[in-house]
Amino acid sequence: MSAILEVSGVSKRFGGIRAVDGATFSLQCPGIFGLIGPNGAGKTTMFDIICGRHVPDSGEVRFHAERINGVAPYRLAREGLARTFQECRVLPDETCMDNVLFAAQDKRLGREMLQAVSRGTAARRNTGAEARRLLRLINLERYADQPAGALSYGQRRLLEIVSCLMSKPRILLLDEPASGINPTLLNTLRDFLIEIYRETKIVFLIVEHNMEFIMSLASEIVVMHQGRVLAQGAPEQIQSDKSVIDAYLGQS
Amino acid sequence: MATAIFEQLINGAMMGSIYVLMALGMVLIFGVMQVLNFAHGVLFMIGGYFADLFFFHVTGSYPLSVIFSMLSLALIGIVLERAIFRALRQNLPMQIVASLGLILIIQNGVIQFWGPAALQMRTSSVSSLVKIGQLSFTVQQFVIIAVVAAAVVTLYLFLMRTRLGTAMRATSQHPEAAVVVGINPNRVYSITFAIACALAGAGGALLGPLFLIFPQMGDGPMLKALSAIIIGGMGSVPGAIIGGLGIGIIESLSTLAIPTDYRDTVVFAILILMLLLRPWGLFGVRVRGEC
Amino acid sequence: MRLSYSLIVTVAILAFGALAPVIFKTQPYVLYVLTLALCYAIPVVGVNLLYGYTGLVSLGHMGFAGIGAYTTALLMKSAGMPFLPALLIGAIASGGVGLLVGIPCLRLRSHFFIVVTLAVGMILYTLFNNLDSITGGAEGLPGIPRPQRFSLGSWNMEFRSVSGFYTLTFIVTALVFGLQTLLVRSDFGRSLSSVRQDEALASARGVNVFAHKLTAFALSAAIAGVGGAMKVLFLRAAAPLSFELQESINLIVMLIVGGAGYLIGPLVGAIGFIALPEFLRAAAELRLVFFGFVLLVIARLAPRGICGTVELLFRKLSGKDASVVRHS
Repeated sequence: MSAILEVSGVSKRFGGIRAVDGATFSLQCPGIFGLIGPNGAGKTTMFDIICGRHVPDSGEVRFHAERINGVAPYRLAREGLARTFQECRVLPDETCMDNVLFAAQDKRLGREMLQAVSRGTAARRNTGAEARRLLRLINLERYADQPAGALSYGQRRLLEIVSCLMSKPRILLLDEPASGINPTLLNTLRDFLIEIYRETKIVFLIVEHNMEFIMSLASEIVVMHQGRVLAQGAPEQIQSDKSVIDAYLGQS
Repeated sequence: MATAIFEQLINGAMMGSIYVLMALGMVLIFGVMQVLNFAHGVLFMIGGYFADLFFFHVTGSYPLSVIFSMLSLALIGIVLERAIFRALRQNLPMQIVASLGLILIIQNGVIQFWGPAALQMRTSSVSSLVKIGQLSFTVQQFVIIAVVAAAVVTLYLFLMRTRLGTAMRATSQHPEAAVVVGINPNRVYSITFAIACALAGAGGALLGPLFLIFPQMGDGPMLKALSAIIIGGMGSVPGAIIGGLGIGIIESLSTLAIPTDYRDTVVFAILILMLLLRPWGLFGVRVRGEC
Repeated sequence: MRLSYSLIVTVAILAFGALAPVIFKTQPYVLYVLTLALCYAIPVVGVNLLYGYTGLVSLGHMGFAGIGAYTTALLMKSAGMPFLPALLIGAIASGGVGLLVGIPCLRLRSHFFIVVTLAVGMILYTLFNNLDSITGGAEGLPGIPRPQRFSLGSWNMEFRSVSGFYTLTFIVTALVFGLQTLLVRSDFGRSLSSVRQDEALASARGVNVFAHKLTAFALSAAIAGVGGAMKVLFLRAAAPLSFELQESINLIVMLIVGGAGYLIGPLVGAIGFIALPEFLRAAAELRLVFFGFVLLVIARLAPRGICGTVELLFRKLSGKDASVVRHS
């Protein structure tokens, strides 16, 4: 069986800086994967390459054996690749309910124009029930008809993640989900992510700076350093890996 | 043929200098405040009207009239910045709306007060001629070129050598860092607007005697100045200068080959090409976009 | 609750509009002004689709209106084509030019896109003004015929009189607004909205941002073409000055004053800009100065225009949370 996500020899430079320099790793079976590394390791660039935001100078990224490097983000989204943003993006003018429903909408232009004429309301009612269930999961059901821009940062973060789930993705890429979250809420967030994984078995790839958070969440960690993959393994392995410790210590 | 080309070169340099005055103002406002001031054309226009006012009713001296006009425009600029544009800094659509509002008010206000007919302002520099070979130019044309050249040098020295000028440059390059080192952004914004409007007013005051002073006189130059700062690069002062001069000269030279009706089209065609091929302009910095 | 309000308002407007020829039977001037206002409301719908819902500012849209206008006028005047096909071809022509312009220009970032639309509008105006053999140059095309009489059994409609052409314009305008509603309240409209609010997010959720912008741009150009055609048919003459920069800017003014992003925003704006001053007999310049101040107030205090302010008042009065969700 082919790997779920396979990164081989990916390189990317910006101007004179080699952000990613021949990175190779693969995610073989479902799980929650963390992508960590000291500052400048290239993990954010790697993440952006997987999400289609940058085109690598060389190397390949394969998702279920299909090449995805160089494919536009909107195509990747339709292929089942859902992502969140570090700065947490939701549609601020839309209600929470509409935010979640939008993720499930068929966004092919032809289909959308057809829907303008056919107005299929039955489909919308069905997805509406699922959307409400997801909102209940994150305790935001009472905000269903409030604009998403009015929510607190933590609430928006949850809304963002839950919107991704609505599109039934095959892989969920989270960009520093813990950033900006009040420490007291981190446990809630972590438990929530574990709960989702148990329920859906969707593959998670999480870029994270918060060590405690990612170590207690992920089943496997990929460590990047200076543009390359340094190590990959279970959290306990990584935490006792000398080269990883050196990489982090060498930064200070 | 050579005389025709030389004549158009002088004309082009002169009109180009006028465009430079406008373009400098617009590029400073954009660089420092990220505001696109479409109303710059009407500010140019009332510069001309004020110069006329001062010349005929206050002092018979043309240079003084120009200076008073510039000062008035500087004051107006400070008011506009405070009352309108400071709050619209990141909001491009509302900047356009506000600019349109200003244009409506000022242009139609002028028609109300001065009437729709054009004013004629004959100064000695327009009446006296300079002969070069077979061609004759008015002194005013060279006055314009000289004054703008002096203004550019003064602006350069101001931006590079004075504290205030450095503060302006800092704010345009890195607003947050500028605040951290103690620069008061609001003061910088006010000064920027004051300078920009003064330059626009100078343009109107300088061009007015040469042709006529009328309510729509700033519309064309504003579009050329806008083209200049885009072609030159949206935040770049040298770009604005080269863009403005370039447009003036190309525009004038093109009249030798193409019917005058299409003269503006040449500039807009260049503008469109630039936008499609190199939107960040000749001297602009390429910013990596989203998606 | 909101649904029934908008339904009531819609029915009221449609009823008033349909009965206007009867109400103002003895005041043809009122019908004249209303017709003109509706002819402007149509291109403003196009601009609403583009700016209010997709977030793109176009400062040259009257250029597209001009393409539709001249195409329809030439087909009806020189080729003797009947109204409906001429209008449709005019719309297709302006939509097609919109498509051609959009393809290279829509990938530009907002500041640059605005300037390029301005330049395109000016170039189109120059073409209208100078291609004498096609457009009649600066004098334009006089003597454009009105649509032929229309008979259905014993029911006759003629379009030579003001009241007759008003009715035609009313029907066309109603259809255009109906199209706007259809598009905006669909998945397509929701995707457009997402592009306006956050392009990067829209892309990440599967929206082909460029394709949506292009479709919106072409549609809005086609709609503008319909408006331009109606206007020159009404005035019986097409002239370049109808489609110059100031006219394009007026479209934006009408939309912002009326309320961008609201379904009836274009109607409110057009009536306010065209009809009200005529009825108030204000001097031309003073009217414009007044509008200038209105714009300043809107830019600083009420970016959502008249419709937005009304919605805000409604919410405050009904005690609801005043945070505004931009729905129509």
